[in-house]
Amino acid sequence: MPVLDQESTLATDLARPPSTDTAPVVRVRALRKSFKKREVLCGIDWDVPAGRVIGLLGRNGAGKTTLLRCLLGLSPIDGGNVELFGEPMTEPGGERMHRIGFVPQTFDLFPWMKVRAYLDFTAAFYANWNHALTDRLLADWQLDPKQKIGELSQGQRQKLAIVRAIAPEPDLLVLDEPVASLDPQARRAFMGELLELMRQPGKTVIFSTHITADLERAEADITLLRDGAIQFTRPLAELRQRMRRVVLSRPGGWTEAPVVAGLLKATVKGGEAQLLVEDPSVESLHALAEREGAELRIETPTLEDLFVELA
Amino acid sequence: MKAVWQLWLQPCRQTTLIAVLVQLMWLGGAVALGLMPAMGNAAASGAAILFGGGTWLWFMMIGQCLRGLCRPESFLLPDFRRHLAWGGALELAQWVLLPTLAAAVLGAPHVWLAGTLILLLAAIGLASGTERYINLMIWGVFVLAGWKPGLASQIARAAAASPLTIPLLLLVAVLLVRLTLRSMLRIEDREADVSPLSNTQLGRSRMRPVDGRPARRGKLTKVITAWFDGTSQRAMESALARYRQRPSWRLRAVLVRRLLLPHDNPQAIALRLLLVAVIVSFYVIAVMHRQRFNAEIVGAYAILLCLSRFPQLGRGMRRMQPNLADLYLTLAPQTRADYQKTLIDALLILVPISVLSALAYTALGVVLVHATEPARMLVDAAIVAAPASLVALAVHLIGPEGTLGRSLVDIVVTLGAMAVYWGGYWLLGALGFALGGLVLVIVTMSFGLTVWVAAQREYQRRPPCFDAPLT
Repeated sequence: MPVLDQESTLATDLARPPSTDTAPVVRVRALRKSFKKREVLCGIDWDVPAGRVIGLLGRNGAGKTTLLRCLLGLSPIDGGNVELFGEPMTEPGGERMHRIGFVPQTFDLFPWMKVRAYLDFTAAFYANWNHALTDRLLADWQLDPKQKIGELSQGQRQKLAIVRAIAPEPDLLVLDEPVASLDPQARRAFMGELLELMRQPGKTVIFSTHITADLERAEADITLLRDGAIQFTRPLAELRQRMRRVVLSRPGGWTEAPVVAGLLKATVKGGEAQLLVEDPSVESLHALAEREGAELRIETPTLEDLFVELA
Repeated sequence: MKAVWQLWLQPCRQTTLIAVLVQLMWLGGAVALGLMPAMGNAAASGAAILFGGGTWLWFMMIGQCLRGLCRPESFLLPDFRRHLAWGGALELAQWVLLPTLAAAVLGAPHVWLAGTLILLLAAIGLASGTERYINLMIWGVFVLAGWKPGLASQIARAAAASPLTIPLLLLVAVLLVRLTLRSMLRIEDREADVSPLSNTQLGRSRMRPVDGRPARRGKLTKVITAWFDGTSQRAMESALARYRQRPSWRLRAVLVRRLLLPHDNPQAIALRLLLVAVIVSFYVIAVMHRQRFNAEIVGAYAILLCLSRFPQLGRGMRRMQPNLADLYLTLAPQTRADYQKTLIDALLILVPISVLSALAYTALGVVLVHATEPARMLVDAAIVAAPASLVALAVHLIGPEGTLGRSLVDIVVTLGAMAVYWGGYWLLGALGFALGGLVLVIVTMSFGLTVWVAAQREYQRRPPCFDAPLT
C-alpha cells in the first residue's frame, strides 16, 4: 500500500484548526507524554473552540485516552502546557472542575455502593445538579437506583457514568469512548441527550469514539490523532465537501498510483488506483483518466472511509 | 501434550521461587527417606515431615493455580477438562506413584499404606488450596483429635492394624478430590466486586484476590459481607443526610471517609470486633484447649492484628487509583495538594480505629489467657498502637510501589511494632506506669509523629496518580 510523500505535507496543511472567533475552551501547546520509554504524545498543539462537538479519532493505541486524561490533569504530563477555560491546568483550580463532565473508558468504581447512593454522594458536592434529568435518565435507561454498582453490566455502568457526567450540566463534556458498551437503543438515546445538551449555548464536547456514525449525527469537528500528533481538526461538513475518493480503473492495472494535486493517500488494488484527494480538479482528473486509458469514478467518502484511510 | 505441559508448568510460572523451594524440600525429604537404612531411624521423622510437607504444599499450590485457571472462559478451550485430567495424572505419577514404587523397590515396610497416605496428603493439599470449607472440615478433624488425643491415638493404632484402612483412606482421598473438582469445574456467576479498600478481614492472613481472579465466597462469607455492606449503606445515607442538613468541611470529610473506607464505620467496626472475638475465643478454647499462652506474646499478636489493616490499605489504594479520578473531579480541589490532603484526612481515621482494635484484641487476650497484669498490657497496647499505626499508614502512603518492597516494609513495621510492644512491656514493669509510660510515650510518639509528618508532607508534595497500577 504505497503512501505518497505529499501526504505529510498535506497533512500539515490540514492540521490548521478551523477558524473561530470564540476563545478556546481547551488550549494545548507542545504537550508531551511518555510511558516509560514509549512516547505517546509528541508535542501536541490543539485548540478546542467553545460550543463545538469535537470527535477525536485515532487508531487503538494512538493516545486518545492519554490525551483526554492529560487535558483534565488526571495524568501527569512530561512537557508543554494545557489550558482549560483560559487557565493553566497546573492546578485543578477548584470549581473549574465542576464545569467538566468526564465519562471514562471503563467505569468500575465503588462497587459496593448503590446507584442512588453514588449519585446522591456526587450530587452533594455540586452546586448545580439537575436532579430531574438524573431521575428521568435513570428511568429511561432502566437503571435501578437500588442496585449495587458492582452488580451492573458494563453497558449499565457506562450509562451510569454518562448520567453522572451530564447531570451537573457541564460546560465541557469529555467522553472517552462512551458508547462502546451500549446497545443501539441506548446509543441513540445517549446521542439524543448529547445533542439536547449541545443546544444550550457555550457547551463543548470532546468525544473519543470509533463509531463514526455518531459523529456524523452530531455534525462534529473531526480531530485526527496519529503518531502522537494531531493530524488535523476540521468540521465534518468541510471534510465532506472537500474530500473525494477518486478511483481510476484499467484492465492492465497500475505499477504505481498516479500523482494528482491535493492527493492525501493512494492505494493500488488490482486494476484500481484509489486516491484520497482534497479539493480535486475534476477536469484534470478526467484528463488524467483519458491519458492513462482508465475509467474514472469520483465518490464522496464517508467519515469511516476517511478514518480508515488517514488514521 | 503441549497443553498438558503448559498446565503442569503453571505453579512454576506463577510462583517460581516457592515452587522451586517446595520441590527442593520434597526432594530433600525423599532422598533422606531413601537413605534411611544407612542413616538410621533418627532422621526419619524430619525426612517424613519434609517429604509430606513438600507434597502437601505442592498440591496446595496446584489448587490455588487451578482456582485461578478454572474460569468459565477456560472451559471454552478445546478439551480443557481432558487436558486437566492428563495433567492431574502426570502430577500423581510424579508425586505419589514414583515415590511409592521407589519405596517398594527399596523394600520399605508398609509401602501401600505409605502410598495411600501420600495420596491422601496430596488430596488434602489440593482441597486446602481451593475450597475454604473443605479446609475447615480437615481442620475440624484435627480439632477433634486434639480434643480427645487418647481416643485419637487409639483410633490411629487400630486403623494401622486394620486391612480396611487402605481402602478407607483411598475413599477419603477420592472424596476430597471429587469435592474439590466439583466446585472448581462448576461454572458459576461471577460475584460482584467489593471495594479494594473495604475491610471485612477477620484474620491477618486473608488476601484479596489478585490478577483479576474471580472471588469465590461461601454462604457464610456472603452473609457476613452483606452485613458489612448494610452498615456501609446506612453509614453513607446518614452522612449524606447530615451533610445536606448542614454542609461543613467536617461533614464533607466524613462523607469522603464513608466512600473510601466503607467498612470503617462504627457499626462495621463493632461487628468486626465481635466476629474476631468469637473466632479467637473458639480457637483458644476449642482448638488450643486453653493451653498456657504467654501474655506478652498475646499482646504483641494483638498489635500485629491491628496493623494488618494497613497492607490491605496500601494495595487497595493502588487498585483504586483509576477510579479515584471521579472523586477528584467531584471534590474539585483548588490544588493537587488539597486533594492529597483530603485523602490523608480521610485515611487518618484508621489510626484511632487501629488503636481501638488493638485495645479490644488485647482485652480479649487478657480474658482468654487470664493475664496476671492486664493493666500493663492494655496501657502498653494503647501507647504502642498509635505510633505504630501512624508509621504503618505513613509507609503505605509513600512507601515502595512494588509488591516485594511493600511486603518487606510490612514485615519490618510489624516486627518493629511487636518488638516495641515487648520493650514497652518491660519498661512499664521496670519503671512503673507513670515514668515508664511517659518514657514510652515520648520515645514512640515522637518517632511516630516525625515519620507521619514527613510522610504527610511528601504525599502532599506528590501529584495525585490516577493511572492503573502496572503490576
